[in-house]
Amino acid sequence: MVVLEEPIKKVLTIKNYIGGEWVESKSDRILDVINPANQKVLAKVPVSTRKEIDEAVQVAKETFPMWRNTTPVARVRYLFRLKELMEEQFEEVSRVQTMEHGKTIDESRGETRRGIEMVEVATGIPSLMQGALLEDIAMGIDEFAYRQPLGVFGIIGPFNFPFMVPLWFIPFALACGNTVVVKPSSEDPISQIKIAELAEEAGIPPGVWNVVNGGRDVVSGMLEHPDIEGICFVGSTPVGRDVIYKRCGETGKRCAAQCGAKNFVLVMPDANLDRTIRSCMTSFYGNTGQRCLSGANLVIVGEGLNEHEFNAFYDKIVNAFVKAASQIRVGYGLDENIQMGPLRDTEKKKRLVGIIQKGIDEGAKLLLDGRNIKVIGDLPHDAFLNPSVFTEVTPDMYIGSQELFGPIASIMRAKNLNEAIDMIHGNPFGNATSIFTQSGKWTRQFVHDVKVGNVGINIGIVAPMAFFPFAGMKESFYGVLHGQKESIDFFTDRKVVIQRWF
Amino acid sequence: MELITASAAISYITTVEENSAKLYENLAQKHPEDGETFLSLAKENRRNKKSIEFAYHGVISDKLEACFCFDNFDTDNYSIRTELPKGINYPDALKKLVDIEEEIQKFFLDAAKQSKSLVPDVSWIFERVGKKRAKRVATLESLLDKVAK
Repeated sequence: MVVLEEPIKKVLTIKNYIGGEWVESKSDRILDVINPANQKVLAKVPVSTRKEIDEAVQVAKETFPMWRNTTPVARVRYLFRLKELMEEQFEEVSRVQTMEHGKTIDESRGETRRGIEMVEVATGIPSLMQGALLEDIAMGIDEFAYRQPLGVFGIIGPFNFPFMVPLWFIPFALACGNTVVVKPSSEDPISQIKIAELAEEAGIPPGVWNVVNGGRDVVSGMLEHPDIEGICFVGSTPVGRDVIYKRCGETGKRCAAQCGAKNFVLVMPDANLDRTIRSCMTSFYGNTGQRCLSGANLVIVGEGLNEHEFNAFYDKIVNAFVKAASQIRVGYGLDENIQMGPLRDTEKKKRLVGIIQKGIDEGAKLLLDGRNIKVIGDLPHDAFLNPSVFTEVTPDMYIGSQELFGPIASIMRAKNLNEAIDMIHGNPFGNATSIFTQSGKWTRQFVHDVKVGNVGINIGIVAPMAFFPFAGMKESFYGVLHGQKESIDFFTDRKVVIQRWF
Repeated sequence: MELITASAAISYITTVEENSAKLYENLAQKHPEDGETFLSLAKENRRNKKSIEFAYHGVISDKLEACFCFDNFDTDNYSIRTELPKGINYPDALKKLVDIEEEIQKFFLDAAKQSKSLVPDVSWIFERVGKKRAKRVATLESLLDKVAK
């Protein structure tokens, strides 16, 4: 067992970063940031006040004209510097993520890499932000369209990818000439503090990138503030739909709300069994199931099989899946041979333990019970939950229809591909789905017909790269423009000019 | 030691490359007549280490199954040593080095095979580094021939 060195040695005091200054919050509400693997306190984070978010927005607003007039080429030079610093600090920021979130070190490094990729793509703004021009729309008259930044944007980060997700938006917003106020998740805010420190070191001017820690007051402050032009949010559907999207509509803000998911993973009879099962393990149990791209429902499809063949195929997949899931090594993510870390906190575990019981009560069969905790190393079990597998799940059950956000797999059967697609369409979410098959015909039909934003072919986690939009449909996304590269449209307005010279 | 995740494999493999580099640097000091050859082998070890780290850090992302890329892959199944017995004479040392390089090659090629489906970029670099080992074996054998004459 090789356990990597922890980069956080003492309890940190988290401050807000406003106008280029690290400011202690005036709030008397302070929360502990706890390492879920060993339950040690890593940091104290303030629940900032409405006044503090107002101050940050004011600073960002005052900074906007200066930043907007900084040339795109100069703006991205700051990002080039930031990218270099991120590479230098790659290992440290990755280990911080493992400590504050619980994910494995491989997963944290993946998250760091994805964050850096966002910065890399945003450095292309001088090309990506270009407008359009048509000469001679009438004789002697030309028409052209500019993209211009809008002002201040609010970025609200989730707990499950504390480092990467705010970076789906920040580099693009800044490169386009906007300023931002970021609210990290108060459960694991340290990664965003680290990246803000690097932004400061990169020389990004004071007031361009601001961070205010907190909870509902900070979010409400952003939503109500007349000087915030738009909100980028990643989190649950109830909050994204009923609070963020609704309030943005009422206050005339742009909104990109990436929300919840219930992802179906289809296994066709011709799938490569070994590779499919290994890919499914990371899909269902990677990040301890706490991601909007996680596999949730494994649908074994009997297309072209008679009943006897289908039963045999079903049993083969179920047995292989349960065997692989039962062998997953659970423990502290800084141990390099750990495959799954703890849940983010004990409350999430309590909720999921209740959901497992609900699944049993609904009549599903629990083949692998994650409540039997087996952890490698001498660690408190508080936030650990081992992989669970249910069979005989139907799409109308709670465990088959709702987002669980934990290491629980629900296995279902579908007679054929059409029935499997109907199951997916019967669910309100449309974030991600995958099909495991060697058939081009089935794949083509699946990709064409399925109403889901991110589709994987023999890929269990469909995480679009920075230079593609992070898609999502139905109740998984609220807004018009998605994150990542597509957010260049989100962060700019169009100005059309028609010119004639006398 | 069983290797399960990409992180564990990369740590192990890069340590092997670093220790190999040190071994050849020591040999270069002990046998200056072949020093240039040993130093070039050490340089190659360090280049391999960088290439492997670059492949891993360059492509690892949450769509890759980095935590699940190995199955029953145990370093104890390979007799990889990056040090020579004390007092070993030069011809025996060269023979031992040939054995070590062949074992490391086998390890790399097996690691490449196992990781191919899930972390293909890492698998590709393992394969490339493994195949390069054949050349190193030939170099060491030619030194052995020279010493034998």
